[in-house]
Amino acid sequence: MRRLLPIALVVLVGVALTFTLAERYHHRVLTLVLVWATMGLAWNIISGYAGQTSFGHQAFFGIGAYVTVLLVVTTGLTPWIGMAAGMVAAVVAAVLIGLPTFRLAGIYFALATLAYPLIFRIVMEYLGYQEVPIPMIRDRPAAYMQFRDPRAYDLLALAALGGTLLLSHWIEGSRLGYALRALKANEQAAEAAGVDTFRAKMVAYTLSAAPAAVIGAIYAHAILFVVTPDAVFGVLVIVQTLVVCLVGGVGSKWGPLIGSAIMVPMSETLDATVGDQLPGIQGVVYGAALVLVMLFAPEGIYWRLGALRPARRAVEAPRVSAVAPRIDTTVAGRSPVERGAALLEVRGVSRAFLGLRALDDVSISVRAGEVLGVIGPNGAGKTTLFNVLNGFLLPDAGQVRYRGTPIHGLRPSAICRRGIGRTFQVVRTFPQLTVLDNVMVGAFAHETSPPPARARALAAMAAVGLGRADDVPGALTTLDLRLMELARCLASAPDLILLDEPLAGLARDGVETMAALVRRVRDAGVSVVIIEHTMYAVVQLVDRLIVLDHGRRIAEGRPNDVVRDPAVIEAYLGQRWLRHVEGLRDPC
Amino acid sequence: MSVSDLAQYVVTGLLVGGVYALMSIGLALIFGVMRVVNFAQGDFMMLGMYLTYFLAVVSGVDPLLGALLTIPPFFLVGVGIHRALLVRVTGGGDPQRLMDAQLILTLGLSLIITNGTTMLLTPMPRGIKTAYATQAFAVGPVLLNQARSYAFLLALVLAGVVYVFLTRTDLGKALRAAADDPEAAGYQGIDVRAMHGLAFGVGIALVAAAGGLLATYHPIEPTVAVNFIVLMFVAVVLGGLGSIPGAFAGGLLIGLVQSLTLLVLPFQLQNVGVFITFLLVLYLRPQGLFGQRLRAV
Amino acid sequence: MRPLAILLAVLVTAPMLLAPRANAADDFKIALVAPLSGRWARQGQLKKMGAEMAIAEINAQGGIKALGGAKLVLREADAGDSVEKAVSAAQRALSREKISAGIGAWLSSFTLGVTEVAERLEVPWFTLSYADSITERGFKYTFQTSPVSSVQAEQALDLVVDLAKRNKQTLRKAAIIGDNTAATVFFFKPLREKLLKAKGIEIVVDEIWTPPLADATAIVQKVRSTQPDIVFYGATNFPDSIQVLQKVKEFGLKVPIQGVGAWLVTPEYVKTVGRELLDNIMTVTAAHPLKGQEDLVKRFTERTGEPFMTQDPLMTYAHVWIIKEAAEMAKSADPKAIRDAVAKLDLKSGPAASTLAPGRIKYDERGRRVGTAPIIVQWQNGEPFTVAPVEYATKTPIWHGAK
Repeated sequence: MRRLLPIALVVLVGVALTFTLAERYHHRVLTLVLVWATMGLAWNIISGYAGQTSFGHQAFFGIGAYVTVLLVVTTGLTPWIGMAAGMVAAVVAAVLIGLPTFRLAGIYFALATLAYPLIFRIVMEYLGYQEVPIPMIRDRPAAYMQFRDPRAYDLLALAALGGTLLLSHWIEGSRLGYALRALKANEQAAEAAGVDTFRAKMVAYTLSAAPAAVIGAIYAHAILFVVTPDAVFGVLVIVQTLVVCLVGGVGSKWGPLIGSAIMVPMSETLDATVGDQLPGIQGVVYGAALVLVMLFAPEGIYWRLGALRPARRAVEAPRVSAVAPRIDTTVAGRSPVERGAALLEVRGVSRAFLGLRALDDVSISVRAGEVLGVIGPNGAGKTTLFNVLNGFLLPDAGQVRYRGTPIHGLRPSAICRRGIGRTFQVVRTFPQLTVLDNVMVGAFAHETSPPPARARALAAMAAVGLGRADDVPGALTTLDLRLMELARCLASAPDLILLDEPLAGLARDGVETMAALVRRVRDAGVSVVIIEHTMYAVVQLVDRLIVLDHGRRIAEGRPNDVVRDPAVIEAYLGQRWLRHVEGLRDPC
Repeated sequence: MSVSDLAQYVVTGLLVGGVYALMSIGLALIFGVMRVVNFAQGDFMMLGMYLTYFLAVVSGVDPLLGALLTIPPFFLVGVGIHRALLVRVTGGGDPQRLMDAQLILTLGLSLIITNGTTMLLTPMPRGIKTAYATQAFAVGPVLLNQARSYAFLLALVLAGVVYVFLTRTDLGKALRAAADDPEAAGYQGIDVRAMHGLAFGVGIALVAAAGGLLATYHPIEPTVAVNFIVLMFVAVVLGGLGSIPGAFAGGLLIGLVQSLTLLVLPFQLQNVGVFITFLLVLYLRPQGLFGQRLRAV
Repeated sequence: MRPLAILLAVLVTAPMLLAPRANAADDFKIALVAPLSGRWARQGQLKKMGAEMAIAEINAQGGIKALGGAKLVLREADAGDSVEKAVSAAQRALSREKISAGIGAWLSSFTLGVTEVAERLEVPWFTLSYADSITERGFKYTFQTSPVSSVQAEQALDLVVDLAKRNKQTLRKAAIIGDNTAATVFFFKPLREKLLKAKGIEIVVDEIWTPPLADATAIVQKVRSTQPDIVFYGATNFPDSIQVLQKVKEFGLKVPIQGVGAWLVTPEYVKTVGRELLDNIMTVTAAHPLKGQEDLVKRFTERTGEPFMTQDPLMTYAHVWIIKEAAEMAKSADPKAIRDAVAKLDLKSGPAASTLAPGRIKYDERGRRVGTAPIIVQWQNGEPFTVAPVEYATKTPIWHGAK
């Protein structure tokens, strides 16, 4: 509750300004500040939190404005209700637009979203709605959102702003917020950690459409008085939104407010002072201001100021106890698998890229409670195999079954939630999130609210022996990074973990730490499939070993036997390695 | 609808598309190499139009030649702006932040250019009176407007020159390397920053030349860019980011679609045809017509 | 980074420290809200020229005598290129100082928004916009001086048919081509729905486009293949219009072109495409210099350097004079009193009345001018002249194609 204090403060300041400003024109400026801040906040939900920059948010702004005003003009319905209808229409539009468009990414997505409001604009002109004046209602104007007193519009916009701030605040601290931050930082890692990125984007998009529609309706009544397609679907709307967000700071609920509070009064002041006397100069000065702001604070003023602030107070780090804590991977509703039973079955899986057979009729069986090693020369198909198992690639042929049910074709996040975890050759972190938040993303695979997710994450971190909860990944060593990724994996309560070269880049003691951890994980009942090149470690660690070469499985069995297999030596190990190993003590 | 009627629509669309195509190549180069969304692209086109106009009115230079003459000064302008402004915005290594910041930076630049021009040259529209703007070549039953035809040919030539530069010369290859993988290019000894400056300079020069070609039949005013900027971006994305032939094809396609849409939809919805085509292409081929597939996992 | 921050701070705060304009307390202030920057800056600047000329003349004659010789002062506010900016400009202009009356804002959507502000703040407002909707809202403070589009369509058609008859031409087929901006749409609607049919004229082409027009070939091709006797033409976007006219020349089309609006007779046309292309093209406007106004036109062209005077500066000039007359009648600078005076006004002489056909300034209870008559203007030798109604014509009309 205390964290709502800043929002309450902002609202209070808004109310104070409403009742202290004297001139009518100043109220208009205040209303505009609040309107654009709200629109910026709405945009921020999808483009800031989720990182999906949209150039088409004015589609929802315009839908809100037009639906509300057309309902007034054609049916006499009060905009107080019409606004709700506008909101519903915008949400429906968001679903219809999002479904096909989220297949695109980056600038493609951004420009594709631009196409929709441009289409709406043309259609509105075609339908004859070039100019829709809002009829002035002289008796009971308040029932039609028409007020003589400009302060009422200030309060109306302030209410919209407050509501959107609350929405943003709620998203930030919710499971959705973690999902969005994760997918923004690294979409694939988020998927592997159990975040259904498509669903998260769709939810964020629809949530962002609603406030845009509401503020569009308010804008039409408070500012425009006549709705034209260009005024609400036009490029100037998204330009203004981008300006307030990018100047203020993207990805924070305070950014749009800061940007709006600076740029809108600046623009109006320029219009009011020099613009009327020397038309055009206000555009030059405003443009220069934009250039300067971007040179001074390209990340936005909020973040720039944040970089100047002292570091946050540290979160209490979990104590790393001498006695290694239990690894808990139970999930409600999921029955434990009998040790030794077939957990993951790969049958005849093939996958080719442009004619090159990366996987050729590979069949593997992973048993519950074992550590299975996968070795082979570079390009043998090991990581490709993992990508198929984990859902990043579809097999061209064959099946993958987990606990008896087929999983090929499922999204990686769905596979993760079923119980298969994954780490990557090069650690995939969410760089802007703290270590604890990174691990919490994994915890959200099964937890729905932050407190239990946090508990699970802390437990996972304690289990792997990682204490630096409040650091960012950039400050971690390679070993700690791998521990973090493993903790994130464990927090999603897997039955099976796919480890892709977890020992790469580690010194001898790091290798031993990781190896010991893998054994503990297995002992806790989690099966492990591990790709590795560090042969001496692999040979000591795994229960069974599989060798891939040119996409085919060329050997399988106990490590001792496999490493002496002539085909394996030929393909991968080499005679010298064998002699070297035999020179060491016998691993059996 | 006879064959000759249809042929007229196709020819008209291609001629219009040719100039869109040239405008778009400049943008494609800038975006492909630097990942900059240059909001001011259309305004440089406008300045190119004005320069061509003054050359025509003051020195009697034919605008087709004038368009070519805009290339050297605007190249320098582009390099200068890159050096003075764009290099200072680094985005802290985050490509999304960088794109956002440069978007606002170039937006600011656009406002300065448009409003500055309004103040200095007045908003009075100008036009270059050329004989060939109102004459046509008759190829059978099909009429090809002469001004647009010359503009189309020159656009093709310029695009060809750029293409040869990028694929056959060492400098061009260095530019593409810097676009594909700046880090690796750096290791190869390529000065990536200089490459960016080069790309921006060429991109601005190309769009100014496109403006000059446009000025053979289109009136010139400070706000002329607003009619073309969206189409430019659509063409670049349609063609596939990072692909110069793609952007050219994208521009041609847009011109063609604009023209052919008139056969199926009411005239008012002409650009709706363009945007729907744009969306369809992206859904079927998310990387654009000629773009590279985004790297797999 | 530090010097940049300082520069930014200076940029932000400096405008606010600029000294406000000096003004004498008893100046009579007229607001002008029009686009002075952006896409329609030219139109706004033309309006301003007209207003400034009227103000200079009135002040030279001694100002407003009923207010002790109070001088007129113009308070212009830039409407920019969006409805938001236009309404902001009106809000700003009307709340900063005591404004007695206002004029603007050229684009009908801007005018709709601006008059809402004026109505709420109870300041009389004058507009030259044609849209019917402007005076269909039950407003008391809006005064629309131009004939509204629907009326223009009917009266202009009568004038055109009459002109054709005088030149021994019968109009049987008509083409309608134009954009979907409000003024054009409101003119074409009654034309296509009933007026042409009532005169027995068949519509052979009816094509509306959304600006900007990519290429005029398809449209002009349709006109060429159907061979109409007259083309009603509504291309308000200057580049679109130029493209169409060039295409007409390219195809060698000789067809009477009847524009709908004053946009077709601005100097930039002749500067861009030359007089040969424009010869004999006609258009319907709300106002144009009439017979007897040569002196006024001369004063305007000498003062501004413009080659000729057109609707926008002319009507704004007239508006200022109307306001002056109202102020004399009301003996007050109070906007409400001015409004009441305008409502009672019935001018039959003087600069305001003589500027606008039919020479009478009187507004009905909706705020529409009584007895308005549109003017047909024709390009002849690179200059536009009033050719109809005949009593106001400064040149004899030439029916296009009838040589």
